[in-house]
Amino acid sequence: MTKNFGNLIALQDVDVVLRKGEILGMIGPNGSGKTTLFNVISGIYAPLSGEIRFQGQAITNKKPHMICRLGIARTFQIVQPFGQMNLLENVLIGSMYGRGMPIETGRNKAEEVLYFVGLKDKMYLTANEVTTEDRRRLELARALATEPQIILLDEIMAGLTPAEIEEALKLLYEVNRRGISIFMVEHIMKAVMTISTRIIVLNYGQKIAEGSPKEMAENPEVIKAYLGDRYV
Amino acid sequence: MIILGAVAPLGISGYWLRFITFIFMWIGLAGSLNLLTGYTGYLDFGHVAFFGIGSYGTGVLMVKLGMPFFPAMLISAVLAGFLAIIVGIPTMRLRGAYFAIAMLAFAEAMKQVVLEFDGITGGGNGLSLPIYTNYQFFYYAMLGTVLLLIGTTYGFENSKFGKGLMAIREAELAAEVTGINTLYCKLIAFGISAFFAGIIGGIYAYWMTFLYPGDTFSVLITMRMIIMAFLGGAGTLLGPIIGAAFLATIEEILWAEFKYTYLIIVGFIVVFVVLILPRGLVGLFRQRILAR
Amino acid sequence: MILQVLLDGVLIGGIYASCAVGFSLVFGVLRIINIVHGEFLMLGAFTTYWLYKIYGIDPFLSIPLSCSLLFIFGFLLQRYVINRIIDAPEIMSLLLTFGLSLIIANLALTAWKGDYRLVNPGYAGANFKIAFFTVPYVRLATFIFAMVALAGLYLFLQRTDIGRAIKATSQNKDGARLQGVRPSMIYAVTFGLGGAVTAIAGSLLSMSFSVFPAMVGDYLLFAFFIVVVGGMGHIPGTLAGGLILGILQSLSTNFIGAGMTYILIFLVLYVVLIVRPTGIFGKGLV
Repeated sequence: MTKNFGNLIALQDVDVVLRKGEILGMIGPNGSGKTTLFNVISGIYAPLSGEIRFQGQAITNKKPHMICRLGIARTFQIVQPFGQMNLLENVLIGSMYGRGMPIETGRNKAEEVLYFVGLKDKMYLTANEVTTEDRRRLELARALATEPQIILLDEIMAGLTPAEIEEALKLLYEVNRRGISIFMVEHIMKAVMTISTRIIVLNYGQKIAEGSPKEMAENPEVIKAYLGDRYV
Repeated sequence: MIILGAVAPLGISGYWLRFITFIFMWIGLAGSLNLLTGYTGYLDFGHVAFFGIGSYGTGVLMVKLGMPFFPAMLISAVLAGFLAIIVGIPTMRLRGAYFAIAMLAFAEAMKQVVLEFDGITGGGNGLSLPIYTNYQFFYYAMLGTVLLLIGTTYGFENSKFGKGLMAIREAELAAEVTGINTLYCKLIAFGISAFFAGIIGGIYAYWMTFLYPGDTFSVLITMRMIIMAFLGGAGTLLGPIIGAAFLATIEEILWAEFKYTYLIIVGFIVVFVVLILPRGLVGLFRQRILAR
Repeated sequence: MILQVLLDGVLIGGIYASCAVGFSLVFGVLRIINIVHGEFLMLGAFTTYWLYKIYGIDPFLSIPLSCSLLFIFGFLLQRYVINRIIDAPEIMSLLLTFGLSLIIANLALTAWKGDYRLVNPGYAGANFKIAFFTVPYVRLATFIFAMVALAGLYLFLQRTDIGRAIKATSQNKDGARLQGVRPSMIYAVTFGLGGAVTAIAGSLLSMSFSVFPAMVGDYLLFAFFIVVVGGMGHIPGTLAGGLILGILQSLSTNFIGAGMTYILIFLVLYVVLIVRPTGIFGKGLV
């Protein structure tokens, strides 16, 4: 479904393909360019060379809001909720603007998504008033409300307890089952190795390996990138 | 209360009529700024420019082209809105701080334009409009504008567009990535905000009959707008109303004081609001009510 | 004739650059637009004026004093007032510094009244001639001082430990923290430093222009222009921006008229914002 060749100062010759329905995990040490790649895909940065294609269409220089409306949603590593607005309104923005619904239909969709992520009972609280974990769910809900085909998740599980991670994985499996392809950046190895159908590894802005989770765990380049030469 | 407001001018004295008309004017000005700043979070340090464009536009059209008041005022206000969008296009793509000062530069530039083209605008000597002393007319004009503004603000609070603006204010990047065309929304809000400032400017021009560039484009006007909007509570419906009424009253009381001392107090009010009451007086009331 | 105009522009441009560099530094590191910047200029100018008037100290000699005073003032102001809203949305810092500037400017107005003051030691007004140029001594001297101040600041940031800590904090606050740097201290030092440089600029200005509390008006806009054109947070760019402004103003005032100058400056600013918002070297923060 998507294919990109990227070339930025932080990324070099990164060539990624995301196939429909898959869960693609992206791992790599800090600063290896993972978030930058997301920023390029969602239109926040423009690549110096290369292009991004989505469903046969080039979307390389489109503005972020257009990319969202075309069907690619994302979450942020540091959550960015609309603090003074309540949870319902937050998600409503997703359904109204990301999917173009009028306020009434959008509201129904928003409630449905909030129920899906387990936040329905808190929907009239403001985003500033809920816990960090809830804000993560909110971020996911807002992205889902835009009815995307692809969702980019940037370290959505950072700082969660093992129990919370289990829950999050269940949720993500369900999201995928409903037909949304997932491209996720994660540091929590166990989680990303479990859920991904395929993994790519970045280091210093370049793709150093690609394959199934099992292959990656045994790949010497990957081990070297994380742990240094001595462990190979 | 609206009925009171509508009937009042028939019974009150000249001083009060004037005072309340002024309050309406300031509610209108603070309210116009609020439409932009309260809902998108973009502060405009040059908002007086639109007030001035409305004033001088109306003046010039009436004096040089003999136009009657209403069309002159409307055209000037539309011009103000239009210029806002033009100036907004490059400046709103950048962070809010750039926009704020670029607007200050714009206001200064507008003042200079008026001074330079003195053949049309009377330049440093000022501009005289046709005289019209029916002060009740101006009372109603200002009141009417304020009501329209309140209606628009209410619309902002509850509409899809308004919520989009608030999202921009809270987390602009997230808003953009969730499908909001932030530049477009900001420009529209800016245009509407400038339009209202322009209308008020037009009414003011006809009311005062005489315009002078230094006063009409004074940065002090922007300052008062900002203070009123934030003191009352930016991004709320009642904020500008409370802020304007409060500040105007304080000013009347302190009028006996030396002008510069009053500004020092105002400065402290601003600092106080930022550090202690960021949601303004309305925010304070809400906290009190919710806390029970 | 035109060369004289250009020379005048360059000389004044250098001073303008020194007026703007503090503003640029503060924005680059703290990410706040410091409206009180204008007041620092004014206070620096007044310090020089009072030292000259009361103690007869030569304006150039008063610079270390005005510089240190305002460093301390800036440091304290940031540490105890501005630092409270450093993580709040940008608009809050705009409002706060706006309120502070109102207080300081009007306190000055109340204390010192609005009269225009002049600093004119014996050598003011004298000039020398080279080829077909007339160069006022004071202008040249203040220009040189401004250049020294700019170079000094630049070297300080590049070469000293504190300077590097400042740069690190501006690029990555959390990364710098991990290296043992305390952001709040760095912010205070940077703000103080910005204030100090601006005080120097103010003192230099006082030698060529009248000093009065409301003098800040244009300089804030000039600083903004310079910093946008040169690139926010980039010191060599600030120098370029200052020179451009100086030359632009000089050309415009001499050939078009003083009034149009403002309009021209705004138009140039507008065009730069459309075409190259990161400044002519492209290194500005946007």
